Amino acid sequence: MTDKIRAKARELLESGQVSCFIGYEEGTRGRVRPAFVYDPQDADRLIWDERCTHNLAVYLHQFQRPPRRGEEPPRVGILLKPCDSRSLNVLFQEEQIERERVYVVGLTCQGVKVNGQPEERCLRCSERVPLVYDLVLGSVPKVVGREDYADVVRLEGLPPGERLAFWMKEFDRCIRCYACRQACPACYCFECVAEQLDPQWMGIAIDVPQKQFFHVMRAYHLAGRCSGCNACEDACPMGIPLSLLNRKIAREVETMFGYKAGQDAVTVPPLATFKKEEALPL
Amino acid sequence: MTTDFEPQIIGFLCRWCSYPGADLAGTSRITYPPFMRVIRVPCSGRVDPLFVLKAFQDGADGVMVLGCHPGDCHYLEGNYHARRRYALMHRLLEYVGVDKDRLLVDWVSAAEGRHFAEVTTEFTAQVRELGPWGGKRIDG
Repeated sequence: MTDKIRAKARELLESGQVSCFIGYEEGTRGRVRPAFVYDPQDADRLIWDERCTHNLAVYLHQFQRPPRRGEEPPRVGILLKPCDSRSLNVLFQEEQIERERVYVVGLTCQGVKVNGQPEERCLRCSERVPLVYDLVLGSVPKVVGREDYADVVRLEGLPPGERLAFWMKEFDRCIRCYACRQACPACYCFECVAEQLDPQWMGIAIDVPQKQFFHVMRAYHLAGRCSGCNACEDACPMGIPLSLLNRKIAREVETMFGYKAGQDAVTVPPLATFKKEEALPL
Repeated sequence: MTTDFEPQIIGFLCRWCSYPGADLAGTSRITYPPFMRVIRVPCSGRVDPLFVLKAFQDGADGVMVLGCHPGDCHYLEGNYHARRRYALMHRLLEYVGVDKDRLLVDWVSAAEGRHFAEVTTEFTAQVRELGPWGGKRIDG
């Protein structure tokens, strides 16, 4: 796989089809980090294995604008796992980047691992082939998981007071580093509500109400847009279970509107449209 | 629960239906609990769910969002959008531990002064029952 990726990246860069190829490279302390390859000779830095957890779609925002005024915006090649391809669909849907400007090298995926342990989301994942790609590498794995929202349901079953206590404890750990937001491909606002000063939505204190506001706000902003790549939770230095929040909303959106984020690039997202006759629990 | 607890309620009232509805309740001399602070908004679709979050963060005990009946929106579709947003918001707030009875989304037309008073009375009683929500008081 790695050889094929290197060869393809080299070919794309040499032919000038893309000016940058985004992939993974060997990092420090046995970890993998995102790599930005501009020179065909550097294509040999690229690797692919089960440690490649990052969602590279987040870096596409950096290629939205041309390097100099009046020039064409750059074309990029990118390596995407099935979960990351859903994020890319969301970006297409929201017109953040044009399809022609991205060359997607899709990868079939058996699931990725953090510290040698398979990620929970991968055990639940039923998509092993990217939804959008120009070229797909690898064979299709047979094993697929099933999403059952068991942990969300368990939390829903708790009495309200206990649930509040649970979330307060989790949110209390937040250090407001915003790593979750930075890692999220769907969080691309130039000015985030969390940092806006006029109006100041969120106080600057590092206190539970502010943290709670931030996380609920972020979860809500991702309603119908979060495709479950779990980059936020992976990025969180404090281990806050953000997926519990995001998957809850994803589940509600699915039951209420029959919509799953990132499945295609053309469906109008549920909160951007409405039906005149619909029974919604208010 | 202390008996002298008076809930602080923020009401986002749509300029075309619910605000005149509240007005009608007043001019008709219908009494309703005085604990609601009214914020007039152009449309229930204008009420960003962040307003509700912000209200709770700043110590409101309950939040009401009142708009025109579906189909009667002055801007044709504002309340349809609000309906979808708040259906989700309700579930999310409930999930993070805010009792869902603290947020009310309802439709009150300009002719429904009595309905406005009923909704407000009922909601105030409901929030009083739940007791104070944590956070600082708005008027200190």
